[in-house]
Amino acid sequence: MRSRLARLLVVLPILAATTAIAAAQALPARIASSKVVRVAVNGTYPPMESRDPATNQLVGFDIDLGEALAKVLGVRLEWQDGAFAQLMPSLQTGRADMVLSGISDLPARRETFDFIDYLKSGAQFLTLASNTAIRTPLDLCGKRVGTVRSTSFPANIESWSNENCTAAGRPAIQYVGVDRMPLVHLELQQGRIDASVQGSETIPTLMAANPNAYRIVTEPFTTVRQGIMFLKTETELRDAFAGALRTLFSNGTYTALIEKWQLQASAAPEPLINGERLP
Amino acid sequence: MMPARPGDEAEDRHALDIALLPHVRPRHWGRIASAAVLLALLALLARAFAQGQIAWTVVAQYLTWGTILEGLRNTVLMALAAMALGLVLGVLAAVARASPNPVLRAAAIFYAWLFRGTPVILQLLLWFNLALIFPVIGIPGIWSERTVAVMTPFLAALLGLGLNQGAYTSEIVRAGMISVDAGQYEAAKSIGLTYGQSLRRIILPQAMRVIVPPLGNEFIGMIKTTSLASVIQYAELLHNAENIYYANTKVMELLLVAAFWYLVLVSLLSAGQAVLERRVSRGVLRLARAR
Repeated sequence: MRSRLARLLVVLPILAATTAIAAAQALPARIASSKVVRVAVNGTYPPMESRDPATNQLVGFDIDLGEALAKVLGVRLEWQDGAFAQLMPSLQTGRADMVLSGISDLPARRETFDFIDYLKSGAQFLTLASNTAIRTPLDLCGKRVGTVRSTSFPANIESWSNENCTAAGRPAIQYVGVDRMPLVHLELQQGRIDASVQGSETIPTLMAANPNAYRIVTEPFTTVRQGIMFLKTETELRDAFAGALRTLFSNGTYTALIEKWQLQASAAPEPLINGERLP
Repeated sequence: MMPARPGDEAEDRHALDIALLPHVRPRHWGRIASAAVLLALLALLARAFAQGQIAWTVVAQYLTWGTILEGLRNTVLMALAAMALGLVLGVLAAVARASPNPVLRAAAIFYAWLFRGTPVILQLLLWFNLALIFPVIGIPGIWSERTVAVMTPFLAALLGLGLNQGAYTSEIVRAGMISVDAGQYEAAKSIGLTYGQSLRRIILPQAMRVIVPPLGNEFIGMIKTTSLASVIQYAELLHNAENIYYANTKVMELLLVAAFWYLVLVSLLSAGQAVLERRVSRGVLRLARAR
């Protein structure tokens, strides 16, 4: 009790100070007047975002984080749940103001978009617990490895295979491009593919939901950050959200959400904009 | 033409002689105006596309890209194969439906009910994931194989699209058979033809005239329905276009490339359908000319 009180006493002045900073970074006029921010999301990726089977509501770390940010900024979020491949077009056509959907901040995407980085991530190999043929990562050479074809994982698999398999004279990984993440897991179960790739932050949830079904082959083999994505022209909106995210980092909300969704291994030390520290 | 005034006979005769009237070509002002408006709208649309956020050089570059052409080939292949399977199954089911045998009739009704009753994308996913129910398939003692090795994206798409198409085709063929006059069945019977012979020689050839137009329609539909197989990794046109724009983010450009090729395919099919329709209706057309 006492420690919580002490923490609160420390947190309160910081909270007051950072809220002042956040308020200083004004929202764009159209959002300041409408009080609504439209967020594109692809709800098929627990624990980041998915539909609760019981209520059909969007749940997940991203959803909680988005709502916490909206509270700081005094706006309401309008979540638009669609296909992963539609996330980027939805910003370009003006259908959404930002994307908060476990999307990686990648150099190719940064040509068109800005990112507020908020989580560490990496591509990670997964196989069935019952698969005895794949023990070490090098066992993957020449095997069939599947992932969602609209993500950046296919390119990750190819470069890993080039470095670790082909360069050492081993057969290359046979990449299988699947339509959506749940179908990747179906293919694993049927033995259509020998292993799969998904983001490290989503694997604990998958393993908890399917006890003894899957086994991690190795640590994440790429290091990326996940970011809230904005059009390059939306610097005002980006900076307002970056300020709000800094508030959530300093007032303990971010850590509380990380713990709620058991993402300790993926927690970021501080928010960044396009990989750079906030001004 | 002025109405004739009574009592002025000479004038009347003159006026009624059509050959002597000046020939005035009708001016369809409405047509001219509406065509002009449509052309103007079309020009505005073309201008909007030209000025929009579309990199036309990318469209041109990918129009004949290897992956796109391979997808085009796979689309044509799947449409042909699924339509052939659908045609065979559809004719068999329609004949079974009209059969005096109650078991055949019930089986045909069940088949159409099952495959018309579920969305084709659901059927595709079921076929593709069949290994969850039957991990191994085969003939006991003779041959067996892992289901996933047999149920390739091609076979799963062929079964999903072909069986579904067969259910629809059976209804079209049935409509064609109903359209043939009952007297034709009786006539065939009276000259001693068996049921099978009368179907083959008398009924089905006459039913073709009614069957071909909706079947051509179904074929055109099939060209585009093959795109659903993109969810089960069949590398058809849309699947390959998607894979390219997932990598280079040129979404609209690649969609326009795919749209172009679908339109080419459907145009070719429409022309083929017209030729085929003339051929199967030549008896009726000859009669019409003789009159």
